Amino acid sequence: MLGAVETTLIYTFLLGSLYLLVSLGFSLICGVLRIFHLGYAYIFTATIYLTWMFMTIFGTPPYSTTVLIIAIICMLAVQAGLAVAIYKGLIVRYLRHEEIIILGLLFLAIIVEQAALRFYPIQTGVYLETTVIHGVSTIGQVTVSNQLIFAAILGIVIAGLFVLFFLKTKLGLAVRAISYDVYSSRLMGIRVDRVFMFIFVLTLIPVIAATLAIAPIWAVDPYMGWGYMSTAILVSVLGGLGNIKGTMIASYIIGFVHSVVGFVFNQPVYMGLAALVVVLVMLIVRPQGIAKSETVW
Amino acid sequence: MIYVGILIVVPLLVYLISFIWPPAINLLTRVIEANLLAAIAIPLALMTISTGRMNFGPQFYIGIGGYAAALLSIHFHVPPGLTMVAAALGGVIFGFIMSPMAIISGGLYYSLLTLLFPLLFLEATYIFTDLFKGDTGLSGVAPLVSTGNFSLNLLSYAFISLTIMLVYLFAMDKIFRSRYAIQMAAVNDDEEVANSIGVNVNKVKMIGFTIAATLVAVVGWFYAHYYQAFSGQIFLPLSFMLKIFMVTMLGGRTQIYGCVIGGYFIAFLEMILIRLTGDMSPVLFPIILLILLLVLPEGLFGLYRKRKYREYMPTLRFRR
Repeated sequence: MLGAVETTLIYTFLLGSLYLLVSLGFSLICGVLRIFHLGYAYIFTATIYLTWMFMTIFGTPPYSTTVLIIAIICMLAVQAGLAVAIYKGLIVRYLRHEEIIILGLLFLAIIVEQAALRFYPIQTGVYLETTVIHGVSTIGQVTVSNQLIFAAILGIVIAGLFVLFFLKTKLGLAVRAISYDVYSSRLMGIRVDRVFMFIFVLTLIPVIAATLAIAPIWAVDPYMGWGYMSTAILVSVLGGLGNIKGTMIASYIIGFVHSVVGFVFNQPVYMGLAALVVVLVMLIVRPQGIAKSETVW
Repeated sequence: MIYVGILIVVPLLVYLISFIWPPAINLLTRVIEANLLAAIAIPLALMTISTGRMNFGPQFYIGIGGYAAALLSIHFHVPPGLTMVAAALGGVIFGFIMSPMAIISGGLYYSLLTLLFPLLFLEATYIFTDLFKGDTGLSGVAPLVSTGNFSLNLLSYAFISLTIMLVYLFAMDKIFRSRYAIQMAAVNDDEEVANSIGVNVNKVKMIGFTIAATLVAVVGWFYAHYYQAFSGQIFLPLSFMLKIFMVTMLGGRTQIYGCVIGGYFIAFLEMILIRLTGDMSPVLFPIILLILLLVLPEGLFGLYRKRKYREYMPTLRFRR
């Protein structure tokens, strides 16, 4: 019994923190821009495959840490440029035609996925050695990868920084104002378009950090983004779209459900199903999610 | 009627050409695919307008119809006529159960939830793999037509799929020209105003949702008997949903006649790309569709609409 409680607590912390990292960006885009970012999955795939592409350009196997770092910097630059291009080319232009934005974003995700699959098929064996802490740790009866612990702590740190940014900075205040009312924010002199674009780029950070942190310990393939996006959707819906407080609570609830089903009952195939049932039940009780508000904080 | 005539003549013509040039018969598979895509997109237009929301998981009901037909056919040897009833019943039941979602959840929540259901269903096919054969799919479904001649079978399937599509098209045309359509349009435009003028918004939503789900489930039934197999891996993922959406959007944003144009356009574009570009086609296909989406915001039907203006164009909303 004690072992089960221990397992649940540890994996709730680990998975919950990771889900927080994965969902933060999606929730913010939904909450601030009010856009259903169906192309969110592309960020995961692009992170892995762009990094790999730059590694193959700048170095030869076995790739050194320097090559990896240069490749990551190049990937970040491309991702930021792509995000700006998406924002300016698609979102700004078709803001009044949501269906075009949503389908356009979805197409983008599929284009990235198919391009990755075409140029780097699964048998290529894409692997990023982004391990920060090697080895495993044993906590009580549970043995977990140190890298997973690092990813979980990273999740908390980044979420904390996001909260501080939104609560303590002027720009954060502008974002909160926009999440309350776009039109009034515009009247108050906030340059809404610039803030939107900033948020669109900012949301890349947690996703890229999560992808790089888990790349050496979990499987990567061109389709990986959809699974994470599904988790992000579940967390965001449960927490209340766009609300960081709600997203935090929801991440740990989903983490708890997954850890109980997957590690205590040893039924990992039921993890997704169980989480969805929890979300559905919660939505019936509280249709607007835990936070009950579509504002950032 | 001239357009219906063309749709009937095309399969016959392809069949006749196949006597001279046998590979031409494969065009019939594209015709069938086009008819089925249109047959899914047409009820989706009804669902979208009557609920005032965009359902991101219409393929869930294809799964319901397809699996109901396949399971009954394989395990109980139920004839196709009866499996259609079962598939339609499955559509009615699940459609009715799911329909309150269009009332309870609004805006993005509805879109997100409807998106998740087919993925959940797909996951369930892996979990209960003994029943659904999630990895390999169910095979051994009784064929709908068995003439002993492959070409004649394909021609028969082309006409059955065309019949389904045309029945849906004309039924929807009748519905959209009725007084009930005015209620649906009111719900689509503004639920609160619709409510204030006496429209029973919840009833309109539930009826529209359930009818559409049932019609889509029947297409799932056809898929199961046509392929003599059914796999969630093909019909439940997002990629299939995207194809349906593109039929709707490229056709002309929920315009039912546009869905037919969209269906044929997508089915044949895919075939041409595979022939011309080989393994680059999975990359090029979404790129071309994305460009078309941006270039033709009102779809191919919008080009017609520019010449012959139509008053009502439903709004697709996600944030409400």
